[in-house]
Amino acid sequence: MRVVTGVVGNDIHVVANRLIEISLKERGFEVFNLGVNTYLEEFIDAVIETDANVLLISSLNGEAEGWSRDLLFLKSRFDLDGVLFAIGGNLSVGEAKEEEIIPKYRAYGYDLVFHQVDLNIGLDIIEDTLKGKR
Amino acid sequence: MFQAERRIITNSPYTDSFDFDEIRDFISGASKNLFISHKFKNSNKILVQPRGGFPTYDKVFKLYEEFINAKVDILPLTIDSNTRLNDYEMAKKMLALSEESDENMLNGYPLITHGYRTTREMVEHFDTPISLRHGTPDARLLVEVALASGIFEIEGGPITYLLPYSKNFPLDKAFLYWKYVERVCAEYSKLNEPINRESFGPLTATLQPPAIVIVIQLLEMLLSLEEGVKSFSVSFSQTGSMLQDIVSSNVIKKLSRKYADIFGYSDAKIHLVYHQWMGAFPRNKEFSDSLINTSTVIASLVRADKIITKTRDEAFGIPTPKVNATAVSNTQYTLNILKGLPNISDEEEEENLIEMVDDIMEAVFNDPADTLWRKVFNSIKNGIIDIPFSPHIINSGEAITVRDKNYNIRFYKRGNIPISDRCLDYERSKIDLNGMSLVENIIHDIGIML
Repeated sequence: MRVVTGVVGNDIHVVANRLIEISLKERGFEVFNLGVNTYLEEFIDAVIETDANVLLISSLNGEAEGWSRDLLFLKSRFDLDGVLFAIGGNLSVGEAKEEEIIPKYRAYGYDLVFHQVDLNIGLDIIEDTLKGKR
Repeated sequence: MFQAERRIITNSPYTDSFDFDEIRDFISGASKNLFISHKFKNSNKILVQPRGGFPTYDKVFKLYEEFINAKVDILPLTIDSNTRLNDYEMAKKMLALSEESDENMLNGYPLITHGYRTTREMVEHFDTPISLRHGTPDARLLVEVALASGIFEIEGGPITYLLPYSKNFPLDKAFLYWKYVERVCAEYSKLNEPINRESFGPLTATLQPPAIVIVIQLLEMLLSLEEGVKSFSVSFSQTGSMLQDIVSSNVIKKLSRKYADIFGYSDAKIHLVYHQWMGAFPRNKEFSDSLINTSTVIASLVRADKIITKTRDEAFGIPTPKVNATAVSNTQYTLNILKGLPNISDEEEEENLIEMVDDIMEAVFNDPADTLWRKVFNSIKNGIIDIPFSPHIINSGEAITVRDKNYNIRFYKRGNIPISDRCLDYERSKIDLNGMSLVENIIHDIGIML
């Protein structure tokens, strides 16, 4: 299974990004880590280039929100039906309720949304979802 | 040739017009008290230096007054992030807003915008060495302005100011821009006391293996000395293990002298700078005080030449001048009561660390490129030098480190770093993941001081 991952927008929080990469590798994924400070277009390009099964975007302190609004538009331009779109991290500026955050990001075009979810629990869910899809 | 390049670099609409003859005269006749190299020579205590900088002249002036009252040894001048990224237009705008409103619209002092004529007045008023703290890959103009202002210590380097701070600034350019900085420092060093250059050993401050920190310190030192710099400080930050700090300092002192001498720079003075804990701080301010105090004890034990302080407000943001100055006086207090500390060493640990450093250095020198900076550039590109948690795309990020049960940072995976099987076995023999996953261990190990 191939995963493209990275931190979206003008965000340089590198520690979590590296931990995600290490965890994915430990679980046997082939990882394409675009690192911090990555634009949405770059993620989509990398998914197409690597023929990835999963796109896993991470974000801190709500940086992702402004950058996610073009996701549906970008998805509509390419055939990305088989790709699992996931986003995780701290997805809001300041405090926010899960009940509000999750539907909002689902509407942006993410299949899985992890707001302040433990990394390993999130990755378990991704793996289960991939198995279910098969 | 070089002078022509300098005229081009300094001919900027964003700063004073440069009068090189006047600057030469100023540096030649400058007060000895402005040179940290002079203070290192004539002082028998660990010099204490905080961090700090504000957008306006007046606020920096007041900050310095607080520091002087707290018996500071070296003043800092921290530069704002727009200037660090060479966005002088934004720095100018934000300085104007800061001056109008009393709000700090910049996270440091926009030195280029203020210019050297203004800044020099403040520098001469306090008559104390000032250290330039920035994080700039292209610091050519910034350093010209700093030296013309009377700021005679320049922190940074092509590796240490790039790998921790940038995602894609071209590393080869950083080497060339820093070569310019070294040459300017070297040239001015002939006029009076030497200009001191200092490397930034903390790097990403996240589980940095001492072997790699030391290799990078040695290489930036050699790149600087090879351009004619005569006074250089190597540095590292508190690792989290007192033993590892002591071993690191013994090794870095030995090897910096050794490599400087081998390369023919035995006339260069090498100093050691110790950074108080640079990782994540506790939110409990009393705990922070305790952590800072422990750092100071270790700086004494390792006989550093300078210590750079943190504050109890570290977890909350930029400290007030008052809190910052209190950290300075507390550190001075602790240093003053620690006399005649024992000399500690651990032969097995030192041998292991020296072997790793020497093996990596040898691999760098064996790169077929024709100049040292190209050898270093290639070594970073192919992962011979690899630091954990760098945001930069050129850093390979294959090496993984964790702490052992005594909090020493150990190689778990070496990636392409050419340490021997023997050393890797030694490192790994100390590690116990305690039945947790690697990532759980890393998260724990990053947060040991919380």
